[in-house]
Amino acid sequence: MTAATSTPVRHRSPRVTWAVPRGARLLRVELLRSAMPWILPLIAALFWFDSYRPSTATAPLYGVRTFWNMGQGHTISDCGPFVAGVAAWMGSRDARRGLADLVTATARPRWAAQLVTWAATAIWAVAAYLLFACVMFASYAREGVGGTPPWWWVAVGATAVIAFSAAGFAVGAYWPSRFAAAVAAFGAAIAMYLSFQIGFSHASGWALILPTNSNGNFDGSALTDAGIFYRWLPDLPIARMMFLAGIAMAALGLTGLPGRAGGRRLRLGAAAVTLAGLTLAGTAVGLVRTADVTAHGVVIPALHDSSSDTPISYTPACGRAAGVAVCLNPAYRRWLPDVTAALAPVLAEVAGLPGAPVRATQVPAAYAGGSLVITMGGHPTVLHLSLGQLNLPGPCGFCAGPVAANQFIGWIRLLFAQSFVGAGQGAGRPAQQAVGAVLLRGAGIPFAAQPGLMASAENFAGPVSAGCPADTKTGCGPGPSTGAVYAAAGRLAAMPATARRAWLAGHLAGVRAGRVALRDLP
Amino acid sequence: MTTAGLHRPAPGTVPARAAGARRQRAAAGCRLVRLYLVSRRVPVALALLAGLGAVLWAALHWRWNIAGGPAAREFIPLTIQTGAAAVIAVASYGPFGEPERAAGRWLPWLRLGAAVALTAIAFGILAAGAAAGRMPGGTLALLRDLGGMTGIGLLSAAVLGGAFGWVGPMVYLLIIEGALAHRSVTPWVWPARPPHDRGGAICACLVVAAALVLIAVRGPRESSRESGRAS
Repeated sequence: MTAATSTPVRHRSPRVTWAVPRGARLLRVELLRSAMPWILPLIAALFWFDSYRPSTATAPLYGVRTFWNMGQGHTISDCGPFVAGVAAWMGSRDARRGLADLVTATARPRWAAQLVTWAATAIWAVAAYLLFACVMFASYAREGVGGTPPWWWVAVGATAVIAFSAAGFAVGAYWPSRFAAAVAAFGAAIAMYLSFQIGFSHASGWALILPTNSNGNFDGSALTDAGIFYRWLPDLPIARMMFLAGIAMAALGLTGLPGRAGGRRLRLGAAAVTLAGLTLAGTAVGLVRTADVTAHGVVIPALHDSSSDTPISYTPACGRAAGVAVCLNPAYRRWLPDVTAALAPVLAEVAGLPGAPVRATQVPAAYAGGSLVITMGGHPTVLHLSLGQLNLPGPCGFCAGPVAANQFIGWIRLLFAQSFVGAGQGAGRPAQQAVGAVLLRGAGIPFAAQPGLMASAENFAGPVSAGCPADTKTGCGPGPSTGAVYAAAGRLAAMPATARRAWLAGHLAGVRAGRVALRDLP
Repeated sequence: MTTAGLHRPAPGTVPARAAGARRQRAAAGCRLVRLYLVSRRVPVALALLAGLGAVLWAALHWRWNIAGGPAAREFIPLTIQTGAAAVIAVASYGPFGEPERAAGRWLPWLRLGAAVALTAIAFGILAAGAAAGRMPGGTLALLRDLGGMTGIGLLSAAVLGGAFGWVGPMVYLLIIEGALAHRSVTPWVWPARPPHDRGGAICACLVVAAALVLIAVRGPRESSRESGRAS
């Protein structure tokens, strides 16, 4: 016996291993055991079907392309419910399998182990979301979609996925039932659709925080030039990320509150995390209540960085129409032939007249709206085209159908004539309408076709009818090409070209100023 | 031992032993049904269906879906109906696996009966919830949409497993969303069709019939990893 005790104890030298933290090893195990990868092919298919496919039927500009999937949050609604459901399934795993007591007795606090399980679920979901979004944008880039992608909105989507995974996980952890996954998934779906619906009646204030609310914020991008002339403002996305991150923190903190989660200090930490999350979410709601819609998007003063206001520099794409240089942003390069074809006849018609433009250049369309699509100004006169406000030729998303090139050309000519005679935002005075009608006729649009052209111009405030009273903006339907205005226009058009040009050269200033009445026309 | 004390029962009367056996069989049948329903967590499913009915009532009463086009108006009620279909599908999950299949010759009838009864109860609850306001499409559309989506849920349970029966209705909901927004006309997306549309009704009936046959005969798919407690 004594010999036995005197035998020296041989200590086994520890194996040299990589210094991998135990948490990382556990995370690796959870990543391998997570149920999330099994649902990802389905999410990918839905992403293609519901987010990517409808967007390809819109104009190839990022603001328009991403309105459906980023602005209205369809990328989130394709991922969120499934992520919440699977996260609930993972959160309820131990209790569902009758292992809750067993894992509670292990050395690692229960809450820490749960957080690792959640982290593995969230990592899969966020990685997949980012991958799908990148593939979608890569596809857009291959098509030559103009502008820059709205990366801030992608970040909002990724944060929403984290929030859904955390909320779903909390549901599963608290209610380890077979119904937990379904409840989490459909709860997430209902929350998102309500968020979408609330935006219709609350386009400002607190409702801007809702992740699938495009009203009052992203909806402007569909007819503006964010990511083309100016940057996507990060203010609202940052506020939404704060809100979603706050929800995620609060949900995860809740899972650490029960007695089995760990020691007293750990539970106090969990309570602090919950409170911090609620505070963060509440702060974000408070911040969006101070938001203003400016020309370049939603600005939240406390979050606004003035460097975001720096315009995007570019080398314009130029062409010529009736000898006049027409320059567009390169994002609109594909429509340059349509624009020059549209402008050539009207520019030729007004060449040599007072105020005839010597150059045409594109200007950004603004969020606040209300500006004219075509304006003229400066000495010498420069034609300013705000093409972002128009439905451009080609696929048109939610329009009745694709926009034909001839339709677009007609709108440009109509708006040019309206601007040239100084009609401003409305239909203009009768004399302005008559002169405009003559210019359009000279540009190849007969009187009879003009009311129909005006009726088809649906997404800008134009001269809706030559028969409407002066300064009418909307609400006056197109009438037939008859009446006093068209009678005067007919008389002017019947004059010899030289005489008509001479009359116009002498009276255009008066027509623009509203000093010439219909009876003053020859 | 003689037969002197035995009496022939009067014509038309049931022997006491046979009556007792019948009572025992009835009691055993009731017990079997009760145990089956408990094992499928049908009481929880009923509570969830009642909750969905309350949500539908609130959505219609407070007009949560007042704004937007026709698609937007339909969508919250459709989401709630899909949720009800998902609950019915998840309730098909059985925790016992092989022993239940080997011993339970009434199992197909129990599965069929439970699915049909839950669908009928869900329809009643949602119809009651719809009384708070004007349900888009009315009761007929509710019956068609709920029935068809329950069929999708049961098919999903047969393919993916009862616990994942909610996946099918959720996928279908997103397909409906796209169809409503883009004015799809295929009858396979029946919620996007008018209530009296024959094609949509036929498709919904085909789906629910196939699902009921499949769930009754084959049952939901069972995963060996998830067999165990009926949580």
